[in-house]
Order: sequence, then C-alpha cells, then structure tokens
Amino acid sequence: MKNSRFKDKVALITGSSRGIGSAIALKFAEAGADVVLNYRKQGGSSEAQGKKLCETIRGMGRRAFLIQADISQKESVRSLFAQAAEACGRLDFLVLNAARTPFKPLEKLLEREIRQLVDTNYIGNLFCIQEAVPQLAQQRGSIVFVSSLGSRFYNVSYPLGSMKAAMESVVRDCAEGLKAKRISVNAVCGGIVKTDSFKVLRQLWEELEFIPEDLFVEPEEIADVVLFLCSSDSRAICGQTIVVDHGFSNRLYQPMQKK
Amino acid sequence: MAQNIVTEEKVIEEVKKAVAETLSSDVAAIQPDNSMIRDLGAESLDFLDINYRLEQAFGIKMARHFILEHIEEMFGEGTAIDENGQLTEKAVRFLQARYGDSFPGFKQNMDMDEVPALFTIRTMAGGVLDILDTLPEKCSQCGNAAWKSDNGVKIICGSCGEQAVFTNGDDLIKQWLTKIQDDKKIC
Repeated sequence: MKNSRFKDKVALITGSSRGIGSAIALKFAEAGADVVLNYRKQGGSSEAQGKKLCETIRGMGRRAFLIQADISQKESVRSLFAQAAEACGRLDFLVLNAARTPFKPLEKLLEREIRQLVDTNYIGNLFCIQEAVPQLAQQRGSIVFVSSLGSRFYNVSYPLGSMKAAMESVVRDCAEGLKAKRISVNAVCGGIVKTDSFKVLRQLWEELEFIPEDLFVEPEEIADVVLFLCSSDSRAICGQTIVVDHGFSNRLYQPMQKK
Repeated sequence: MAQNIVTEEKVIEEVKKAVAETLSSDVAAIQPDNSMIRDLGAESLDFLDINYRLEQAFGIKMARHFILEHIEEMFGEGTAIDENGQLTEKAVRFLQARYGDSFPGFKQNMDMDEVPALFTIRTMAGGVLDILDTLPEKCSQCGNAAWKSDNGVKIICGSCGEQAVFTNGDDLIKQWLTKIQDDKKIC
C-alpha cells in the first residue's frame, strides 16, 4: 500500500467503471480508502469493467462496492446513496464524474437530447449533492466535480461543455452554501485525456494527432488533484476549479507538428 | 474491385477483432450475426473505439454520423425522427432500402435509441465493404492500376506504394441518400 492518508474513509465516484472515474477510484484505494463504484447501464461493457475494477480494488485490500444507478433519476440516486451508506456506514468524499452526452452541435440537438443532457449532467449532479450532504456533513467531507476544458473553450460537437460550465458555477455556489456544514466543494478541469472522451475527439477533430504528446494529461494526473482536493492540504481552497492540462489552454495557438 | 483484394471474410474477421479488442472479449466467441449491443455489450463510446480501430486497419474514414442524422440534415428536421424521438415511416423506408427488406426490426414509431441494437458484426462489416468499394481505378499518385494488399486488409499501390484513398463514410451515405431519393422519392 502506497500510503494510508485516507484509511477508513469512503469515496463514492459516479461513473467510475472506466476512464478518469476508474483512475480516481484506484487512487483512492491506493490511499487507503474504501470505494463505491457506480455505472449506469446494466449488462453492457461498463458493468463488465466495473466488476473487474471492483475485484482489483479488493485485491488491494480495500472494500469496493459496485452499484448501478442512473444519476438523472432521483429515485435511482436515492437508492445509490442508501445502498452505499448501508454497505460502508459513512461517506467522506463524493466525486461527481459521471457524464452523458450526444456528440453533435448544440443547435442540432433534439428536444429529448437537450433534456437528457441537462438531466444527467446538471440535475443528476445536483441530486447526488443533495443526497450526499447529510452523510458528508458528519465527516467534514469533500465534493469534487470533474470538469473539462469544454467549460470555457469551444470544442467541435461537444454540447457537454455548456453543462461543465454550469457545474463549475454550481461548485462555486455550493462551496459557500455548504461551508457551514464544513463540506468542501471544488472542481478539477481536465485537459485532453487519452480515455474514452479521446476516442470521441479523435473522430471529430482531425488536428488532434498534431498535438504534441506532452500536452496530453494522464487520467492519474487528474485523479491526483481530485485526491488533493479531498485532503486537508487543500483546506483553504473553496469553490475553485483547478485546471489540470499541462498548460494546453495557456496557448493561443497549438503547434502543428506530427507527433 | 476492392473485394478481390480484401475479402468479405477478412473484413468480418477484422470487425470481430476490433470489437474483441475494444470490449476485452474473446474473438472466438463472437459470431457475425451477434448484435453489437444486445449480444456483445457494446455501449456508445465503444462504437467510436471500434470505428477508430477499423479506420486504422483499413486506412478508411468511417461515418461520423448515423444515417438517420444524415436524413434529417438533407431532408429537414423531423423527416426521420419525430418529436418523441421515434422513427418516422420515411426513416423506416430509407433504412429498409439501405439494409434490405429482410433486415429484421425496423418499425415505424420505434424509439431511435433501439435502432443501434439491431446492428450486428455483419452490418458493421457491410459499412466497411461499402467504403472499400469506392477504391478508384487508378492510383492518384502514379496513375497506375496496380492495387494490392500485403496483409489482406490495407490496400496500397503496387507500383508506387501509396496508400489507397477511399470516399469517407459520411460522404458515401450522402451520395447513397441522394440516389435513393432520386429513385424512390421517399421525401
């Protein structure tokens, strides 16, 4: 075990069977925490990957629980947090990582796609926060939202960006609102990560292959900052969104060179 | 012509391989008529990964947008999918023309989200074959007609070594829709 700074603590990460969520779950387990994993779709590849991750974490000597829930449904969120409380008895950290989006321009979305976008990525996250607060308040807990550069920059066919922007605002708001309960709320805004979202990007964004390798972010690098925001080292940070992108967004232009 | 160089069998094999790699499943257990979603558990993000692998293998560009989106784009909003997200009668006619009357399952008023579950390994391979069929007669670099493939997957010019360039998947669907519309006047 690398360290035990989060020993006996419990982290719940939404949408954690793959990609960044899975990297965050592993980091928590490495740091000694028990982990509640969540996925949405029953019987698909997410569930299969979630089960594997669960076994890996148990193999590290930590408790791990895999719970199916669609965060856009209030009842489903209630059940997620009830099951987590029953299994773990406490909740210290909530990581809002789950996201769901069509990949087409905002102006071309069908009404139901717009509603689903808001239902999952805004309303669903609020449901999670509301359900988690009573448990987190008992532990001086933390909430960390996983955002992306789409919150502040245009990206082709990426309607999720507008929801990320809304959530960064929610983070600022809730950080103040939950101060009295001693719950910290912050966000990590990730740059270009080579996970599932990258598989999407490389289909829509031809120039992606020209971006130098050193500007890509590893999922673990985002996870490290999530854990920092859950630790007492970050106690003076309140309602902030920390950009983790290797400086990608500092540049007015991107060097166009073949990697 | 491309099918003399890259066989349907080989394409199906490559699709199986791409699916198995994406889903970390056993390639031997995958059947050509397996539904990607229902039988193999693929989710929307997995499709993008599978597409990418096929693009790399064959040197092609798969369609970024599904045929229903193209119909809406070309013939106007609401032509393929109604306000409840269900297939219109016109969408069903286009889909049947595209995938054959015998292709099971397309029904009017069916939820658009249920359509991808009808697609199998074979449907995906059909999409790849359609793109490969756009292989030009001659190499655009040297002008020779000497296509070949060393691995039975990627087609190169036997004369200058240049990789073959195909029509991309989206353009191909648009061309096809234009043709079908001219023939059948669906919209």
